[in-house]
Amino acid sequence: MSLTRRHMLTSTIGTVACAVALLTPKHTRGTDEVEDFLFRITGRKATPSNRLRLVMPAEFSTGYTVPMSISVDSPMTEADHVKSVRVFAPKNPLVEVAQFHFVPGRSLPRVSTRVRLAAPQHVVALAEMSNGNLLTAKAWVAVATNGCL
Amino acid sequence: MVPGSATKNEVFTVKAIIQHQMETGLRTDSTGKTIPRKIINQFVCRYGGVEVFRTDLHEAVSANPFLEFQLLATGNGLLEFSWREDGGATYSLYHDIVVT
Repeated sequence: MSLTRRHMLTSTIGTVACAVALLTPKHTRGTDEVEDFLFRITGRKATPSNRLRLVMPAEFSTGYTVPMSISVDSPMTEADHVKSVRVFAPKNPLVEVAQFHFVPGRSLPRVSTRVRLAAPQHVVALAEMSNGNLLTAKAWVAVATNGCL
Repeated sequence: MVPGSATKNEVFTVKAIIQHQMETGLRTDSTGKTIPRKIINQFVCRYGGVEVFRTDLHEAVSANPFLEFQLLATGNGLLEFSWREDGGATYSLYHDIVVT
């Protein structure tokens, strides 16, 4: 087999194209990462929404007991209510944190608790509405000492 | 912590805490052996026998799990709080609420 000028040109173009594809960052923003994470977990697309609020301190001294508050704007009627809210900590060794189930006409979609975070990260909340929609919200938490898990 | 009474259709807040180690099953002891997981994996609140709030808990919930949530006062009834531990043991607490 002889190496012609044409061979050299095509192979070089191929190599450069591969390198460019490999070097281009897949994720440039945190939002994309969170969306990808939720899609991997649920297999469905979740919509970032202001109706779901995840309140956590931006900085906290210990990763053992980070306060967390969740609330959803919802009339909580049979026809329109929040079924559940799941919380994930994607940088923890076990990403699932908790799932809260609400009942229309009996409970309000608001809850507070305390969680462990193994590293500074975006904590992600995912609300499943009665019509099947998935709403999502995230909060960046920097923990000074990581909670042992 | 629950109020003793409420007016009908009013929202009241429940604060519940249980003393529990919440051993995650990810830690090892001094000999390198894994310490088995033992956590509270579920909390249920029933009101007059009806489940009104439920939480599935995982390893990332802090030790001595604390929960604060809100219920609608629908009528006189018994509030039952129960925590389920790994291994199936449950711990329950009862509280009467008077609704006027």
